[in-house]
Amino acid sequence: MSDSGKIVEDVVGYIVKQIVSKPDEVSITMIEQGPDEVLAEVRTAKGDLGRVIGRRGRVARAIRTVAQAAAEEEGVTAGVEFVD
Amino acid sequence: MDWVEVRGKSADIAIEAAMQELGASSREHIEVEVIQEPEKGFLGFGGQDAIVKVKLKPTGGRKRRRRRKGGDRGSDDRSQGRRKQDGNRGSREQAPKQTSGEGSRNKGNGGKKGGGGQDKSSAPKQSEKREEKPDVDIEDQAPVVEEFLSGLVSAFGLEGDVAVRVEDEVIIADVTGPQTEAMVGPRGSTIEAIHELSKTVLQRQTQSSARLRLDVAGYGERRRQALSIYANQLIDQLLEDGGEVTLEPMSAGDRKVIHDAAAERTGVQSYSEGQSPQRYVVLAKVGSDEEE
Repeated sequence: MSDSGKIVEDVVGYIVKQIVSKPDEVSITMIEQGPDEVLAEVRTAKGDLGRVIGRRGRVARAIRTVAQAAAEEEGVTAGVEFVD
Repeated sequence: MDWVEVRGKSADIAIEAAMQELGASSREHIEVEVIQEPEKGFLGFGGQDAIVKVKLKPTGGRKRRRRRKGGDRGSDDRSQGRRKQDGNRGSREQAPKQTSGEGSRNKGNGGKKGGGGQDKSSAPKQSEKREEKPDVDIEDQAPVVEEFLSGLVSAFGLEGDVAVRVEDEVIIADVTGPQTEAMVGPRGSTIEAIHELSKTVLQRQTQSSARLRLDVAGYGERRRQALSIYANQLIDQLLEDGGEVTLEPMSAGDRKVIHDAAAERTGVQSYSEGQSPQRYVVLAKVGSDEEE
């Protein structure tokens, strides 16, 4: 379905915007990797990327975990990439 | 009683670990008995760890105090002291002590950890705020967590309730409702991730980080109960057979469940050994010699 990844997009977008200093500059691009696989590309304002990734990638890892939980709601798997 | 016996390379390390186990936030809240002083071994042989016994003082208004070190990184809510500076993005690593504006980088100040005392410089930059950071009252931090979690449940498209309260200087957040089972994850991994994110959001939005306990769909509660039942079975067995039982490594929170279970039974004592994340609980029948 074309809607696939909607929940992932919402969830990832929501979380990222809560963490960054410039929520307006957050964009999430959803890419269909396959029938059951989506990828969320996260872009933020320059200085914000580090916040979203966190020390030693802790925050990024947590976001990926939660994104996967969201994906399961839609019967897909999800990856999240943080784009510089 | 709630004595916890801990060993460590030094008495300090052991006490620190014991405090985490007990959930004590300051040394003012505990009583310590040093059972064994540490001894250096000879060529690595025959050294002795320090062993301390620690117990919570009878409560009387606990104050929150930030510890800046912790021998234990097992449990998430223990490590927030370290992450306190996250808002400044790795300031600990990069903060080259701004003496007065321009980069007079004194070398060799790298090891400086978040001790407040050291930099009284009027550094206006936000990279060295540390201790003077306005600590947002915990009662004001709680709503931030509540809002974040409510929003997250909505983003998931789920129905659920979020209840947040403050107890003993800990924010306790409960996400409930049958649908929220989707936010638990295998062995609670999604809860852990949400916990991490909640604390990150708290830190970003309030520059403070109270301790936070999060449960979703009653998972943590069910798990604690199961763990407690398991501990009691082990204790039953132990009381019959004597000796000691060594449990698998656990997080500080889980170890506390075991210690609590042991504390309610007579004839058995519990203590923790090892370094986290490999730290584990030993249950021992009282009277049976542990080890010489």
